[in-house]
Amino acid sequence: MSAFAQTQTNETFVLNLGPQHPATHGVLRVKLVMDGEYIVDAEPVLGYIHRMHEKMGENRTWAQFMPNTGRMDYLHALAYNHGYVSVVERAAGIEVPERAEYLRVITTELNRISSHLLWFGAFVLDLGGFSPLLYAFDDREQILDLLESVTGSRLTYCYFRFGGVYNDIDENFAAGARAFIKRLRERMPMYHALVTKNIILMKRLQEIGPISEEMCRKYGATGPVARGSGINFDVRKHEPYSIYPELRFDVPVYTEGDSMARYMVRMDEIEQSMRIVEQALDKLPEGPVMAAKAPKIIKPAKGDYYHAVETARGSFGVRVVSDGSNTPYRLKLRSPTFSNLSLFGEACRGMLLPDALALMGSLDLVIPEIDR
Amino acid sequence: MGTQNIQPPIVQFAQLDKLLALGRANSLWPMTFGLACCAIEMMATGASRFDLARFGAEVFRPSPRQCDVMIVAGTISKKMAPAVETLYDQMPEPKWVIAMGNCAISGGPFLFEGQYGIVEGAEKLFPVDVFIPGCPPRPEALIEGILELEEKVTGSRRFPRVEVG
Amino acid sequence: MKLNAIKQALAVIAPEALAEAEHAKKGALLDVTVSATQVVEAVSVLDKEGFFIEAITGVDWLGEKENAHKDAVAAAKKKAQDAGKAAAKKVADAGGDEEAQKAAQKEAEAGVAIPAAPVEPFSEEMEVVYDFNNFAEFCRVVLRTRVPRSNPEVPTISHIYPGANWHERETHDFFGIKFVGHPYLAPLLLPEDADFHPLKKDFHV
Repeated sequence: MSAFAQTQTNETFVLNLGPQHPATHGVLRVKLVMDGEYIVDAEPVLGYIHRMHEKMGENRTWAQFMPNTGRMDYLHALAYNHGYVSVVERAAGIEVPERAEYLRVITTELNRISSHLLWFGAFVLDLGGFSPLLYAFDDREQILDLLESVTGSRLTYCYFRFGGVYNDIDENFAAGARAFIKRLRERMPMYHALVTKNIILMKRLQEIGPISEEMCRKYGATGPVARGSGINFDVRKHEPYSIYPELRFDVPVYTEGDSMARYMVRMDEIEQSMRIVEQALDKLPEGPVMAAKAPKIIKPAKGDYYHAVETARGSFGVRVVSDGSNTPYRLKLRSPTFSNLSLFGEACRGMLLPDALALMGSLDLVIPEIDR
Repeated sequence: MGTQNIQPPIVQFAQLDKLLALGRANSLWPMTFGLACCAIEMMATGASRFDLARFGAEVFRPSPRQCDVMIVAGTISKKMAPAVETLYDQMPEPKWVIAMGNCAISGGPFLFEGQYGIVEGAEKLFPVDVFIPGCPPRPEALIEGILELEEKVTGSRRFPRVEVG
Repeated sequence: MKLNAIKQALAVIAPEALAEAEHAKKGALLDVTVSATQVVEAVSVLDKEGFFIEAITGVDWLGEKENAHKDAVAAAKKKAQDAGKAAAKKVADAGGDEEAQKAAQKEAEAGVAIPAAPVEPFSEEMEVVYDFNNFAEFCRVVLRTRVPRSNPEVPTISHIYPGANWHERETHDFFGIKFVGHPYLAPLLLPEDADFHPLKKDFHV
């Protein structure tokens, strides 16, 4: 805190941010206690887009809940598909053909790139730069074309099924994915030259919004937020699932813990995801994409089951409690941004308001996923 | 309809009104107001490929005081409803509302018996001019919605309708 | 390594409640059931071992014991029937007449005890589930506690893990479980004035 901030009197006022504010990426509301331009305390207010996912899980069959998973975190819908089908497959003991697992990983990683690209555009937009958004969307649309050709939708995918995926890819998809990766590889240096090395962006992000390792642990922050604070935690490595153990990729970790570190983690993750997609396309085995014995009606044995996956925002876990019927008895969705945002109040204390918005942007919030 | 509660002016200038309507229709200013998934498609519509600027509706304004069309892009929860209503009230006349996506039309996929959290459609809160179905609607659909709204404002369509088939 | 350390430490608190789970089948490594009064102690142990909090949630077990009782009665009745049939068949095979068969059947059926309905109404319970994991090494520990449904109260752990604050508020929203000592147990996801708990099994609009 600067010397200016310390010469304060005890006069504070409450500033309401949101729920309609362009910087809150949706309908987040934050009650800020301000001392001039400095934040004394911040309390996020949630629930403005609470869509009852957990309640819906309890009054429809296991399969009917699938479309909901794509609408929780619409930016990385396929990872949420993956988490849910994995937990049901674990509960019901369904084997998935290898080709289907490869297709899941290929599409999920492409989706991760599109999520990070959108975050990149929106984040720089928060900081006042408009044009990177247009570049990022240009690349993102290429991914959406690819994913649309195989999943049938642009945004809220519902592509995975219990025991496989719903559609096989064709030659055009593989060729298109490789061409896209080649194109994005060529464009990444441009992004770095235009944005990452921009002095204004650096000044806005470096040493802004530091989050310590201990804070991540106490609040349960995961994903790029934790990796930007020096924690080497990625569910894909930590608790391997699907075919990730067979693929070679690195987990980018930065130790600074500031907004710049989180920015860099995501930019590096785009490159790692491209590596994963390439390897998976190379190794893609032949075979069916749906398990032949996958039951039409799912009735998992009594008990509770958990499965975690790594989404673009962190560790997403699903806990299902089955009572042996065709409906989940309880469906708990552990969303990563919920935990990541919960440290915001502590992290932004003593910060300038514009810096707090940079911090908020670097957390990569998707509000419907927080509120569920 | 969005304009039904305004009294018509005592003195009317038919030709001037037409000119004003033409101006309004070709420079719609939507509000930067995203609720959920559809907001991403709204962003995509405004961004590179679909380029809403071609239709004069790219000036997204964060303040309701400067907007004349509100695109309700997403689910309105009961907690959010008062805020959405306030935003609508804050917009100056003449104003229009586009309900984008199934949630804004009827509650969409989140409508089920025993639901406790959402408003079943934007029309429960204020009049809606154009409905765009889809979950979420494609950017092309949003553009078509804007063109529909233009037609509603001016009474004639600027671009030829695309025939399906 | 972590698993052994945490097992030893938790065994001091709740020796009989530890259950190792198979990760491939359940998704967790350790499943611990403690009483509500032991929660803070157990969580402190996890905190000392460097665990991070993944989630807190509830499960409403309304009608669990009644259903279990019904199942037990149905199973016992089926058992009695089978035993009766078997006994009757035995007598028939031995050449006994119908009378003797019926008598044998009755006797065998009476031999199987059918659980009696309890005098008092079934005690309804709710469960609070805590998920912990470790950054250094995969080790998901599930901590469970049961509380009576009529008075669901659990001590808060938000002073140990500040991240638990929101999770507890959410659980209170959904189930009405009171976290004693919580600094601000106001609705988080539901509207500020919400007085309903939608994930309770007897919730109706």
